[in-house]
Amino acid sequence: MATCGLIFIATFSLVYLFFSDSYWVSYVVAHSNRDLSTFYKIAALWSGQEGSLLFWSFLLAIYVFSALFVYRNKNGELMPYVGVVLAGVQIFFLTLNNFVASPFKVLATPGANGALEIFTRADGNGLTPLLQYPEMVIHPPNLYSGYTGFTIPFAFALGALLARYPGEKWIHLTRKWTMIAWCFQTAGVLLGAHWAYAVLGWGGYWGWDPVENASLLPWLTGTAFLHSVMMQEKRGMMKVWNVWLVFLTFMLCILGTTLTRSGIVSSVHAFAQSSIGNWFVGFLALILVVCFVAYVKNRDYLKSENQLDSIVSRESSFLFNNLILLVSCVAVLSGTLFPVFSEWLSGSRISVGAPFFNKVNIPLGLILLFLTGVGPLLAWRKTSVDSLKRNFGWPSLFSLVVGAVVFALGLHEFYSLLCLILCVFVATTIAMEFYRGARVVRARSGASFAASAVDLTLRNTRRYGGYIVHMGMVLIFVGLAGAAFNKDVQKDMQIGSTLQIGRYNLLLQSFDSKPERNYTSERMVVEVMQNNKPLMMLYPERRFFQTNQESGTMVAIYSTLRDDLYVVYAGQSPETQTPVIHAYLNPLVKWIWLGGAIVVMGTIVTLLPNRRSVLAFAVVQEPSATRPLSPSLAPSVTLREGHD
Amino acid sequence: MTKMRRRKTLLLCVASVCTLALSVSVTAQDRAKQIGGKFMCMCNCNQVLTQCNHVGCTTSTAMLKELDQAVARGDSEDVITQAFVQEFGTKVYAEPPKSGLSLVAWVLPSVYLVGGTLLVVFIISRWRSRIHLETAAASGGPSGISAEELERARRRVARETED
Repeated sequence: MATCGLIFIATFSLVYLFFSDSYWVSYVVAHSNRDLSTFYKIAALWSGQEGSLLFWSFLLAIYVFSALFVYRNKNGELMPYVGVVLAGVQIFFLTLNNFVASPFKVLATPGANGALEIFTRADGNGLTPLLQYPEMVIHPPNLYSGYTGFTIPFAFALGALLARYPGEKWIHLTRKWTMIAWCFQTAGVLLGAHWAYAVLGWGGYWGWDPVENASLLPWLTGTAFLHSVMMQEKRGMMKVWNVWLVFLTFMLCILGTTLTRSGIVSSVHAFAQSSIGNWFVGFLALILVVCFVAYVKNRDYLKSENQLDSIVSRESSFLFNNLILLVSCVAVLSGTLFPVFSEWLSGSRISVGAPFFNKVNIPLGLILLFLTGVGPLLAWRKTSVDSLKRNFGWPSLFSLVVGAVVFALGLHEFYSLLCLILCVFVATTIAMEFYRGARVVRARSGASFAASAVDLTLRNTRRYGGYIVHMGMVLIFVGLAGAAFNKDVQKDMQIGSTLQIGRYNLLLQSFDSKPERNYTSERMVVEVMQNNKPLMMLYPERRFFQTNQESGTMVAIYSTLRDDLYVVYAGQSPETQTPVIHAYLNPLVKWIWLGGAIVVMGTIVTLLPNRRSVLAFAVVQEPSATRPLSPSLAPSVTLREGHD
Repeated sequence: MTKMRRRKTLLLCVASVCTLALSVSVTAQDRAKQIGGKFMCMCNCNQVLTQCNHVGCTTSTAMLKELDQAVARGDSEDVITQAFVQEFGTKVYAEPPKSGLSLVAWVLPSVYLVGGTLLVVFIISRWRSRIHLETAAASGGPSGISAEELERARRRVARETED
């Protein structure tokens, strides 16, 4: 608690230094200036190496304190081990904060007497323009909450292994913590994608940049863990696998941080090259050794209780789900590191860019999508042929019919068509599950269908929350499929000239330049027309920040469920000095953000306690003339709902 | 041939030539875009050349100009690729070429997938063979079930069947 309190004081001190414009602190000078708005002075906290590490410690301290507080008088045999592991991780980050990358270094020069004299700058360098965007205030906290959150299941898994703690209890204890970390990681990854889409101005949301990949890796293994852990809970299987998945997830969080902070891989948003990477490599090696030794010494404790009864079962679907997620993870990792290895081996760096990652991951993603539909509807142990027909007959038929119709309408791009068919298949299986369950509830309660579906979900939040998450993933895949049909046009524009893209006609009404508080803006005023009727106005702009002599793009987006009209002011033409417009038409992008919101919502549902039917006894007065029975002998049983 | 018919034929020829010219120009643009998608921008942004849209990125502008000129000259894709690799090195590739050391990058994901699948199949078959052995052993043993075993079996059934 004392550690948590001190980290809070340190973090809020740094925030105070930003708000008080303390330009005698090196970190404040590097990441803020007087004209920076209050909103972005908060974001400045994690915009550099030193501040982001302090922020990491801050979030970790919240998790550590919460976990130790929640279980303070419980699980006496386990918690000392968990506490030691958590303290070890916290100590590592505090070491970095204090001795390697302190954000509290002051500006000083040697004075006449040899002593250091602190001096103050009139103003700071300002925040990087790319970070001056609302999502940068919420994206890093989400992502860091995901990274740090995985420390809790890691500590419990390692603690349980070291303490030889019986059964699956560590899994029950950490399930909600893992879900919370996963939820933050998912939200963080998607917010990062949206930031890239809205700020970088290249028309896409995922460029397979090493920093993006670093955030995806623990998400993939974390997702695998959330699925395989059910096998251990239900059937006492996969104990070794689960423990190593948690270890791997935590190690990938650290590895991702190592990659982005050491300068090993080049990235547009990696931190500057520094020696801090060696610390992370050392920490990673230490974790690996500790985990390996703990496993070797206690592996007999992880013996599986049950075996697989049938290949067509939920267990095997989880095995294949884990396989695909892990293959994707390793493929992304090896692709990210390949330029480094190629340079070591051959002396020349070979780049691995987005086309490679797309080619490798699209088929894997589609297999995963298929398993998303199949897995939850297979029975544990063994699935009968009748059950297969009942669960998958209509969804298969319906998805194939939709696929045929869409093909006839002109969708011939193979992966997009396959993706659409699978999306329909998965969505139908999920809808049927809700329908069947809600029908039973409705028959008993007489409530409306929608109310029955809500009731059903609240009775088994874990199962139906999971379905909601899957439905969100389906929407994300629908959005990703749209990328195959992106269009873009670039044109030098005179005032009054037009540009046609898809069904939209863009008319340049005016172009101006005006100074703002923190930057100078060059702005286009573009009227969007559809069928020769005015639809809306868009204002793509470019901002030039005087303090750090950097520029930033503000993309103008008109988003609908059908497509996004994405308009970028691409500067002035060197030949004609006229403004250049780069317009993109990106189909179905909105579905990705919508799907992301549903995934987060579904995860929150899974965290809710189940509503259970409880028996309540009530005395009922018999209206008949016959002698009433004693209430204790003739209770009338009514069903009441309550939360556990 | 009547005057009217001759005029129609002439008009058709002009239209055909215009369409052909337009299609050639569109093809050249598309070709430049398609080839440009195979290179990285060398401004260290880690983005594909045709997607680099950094404010004031002079590198991508110069590279795209060079690419457009090469396409306009009618250079083949191989020639253009060689010229870019000679100028910028192998890091200009957006995806590793499928030869030499770079082939490893392409082969690895398939190796992971095949290796992983074999591992899963091996695990499943081992589990299944073990369960057959256990069933055989159980069928040869005493038929009586103790109350404790029965209770354990009930608990297991309850746990495994609840969703």
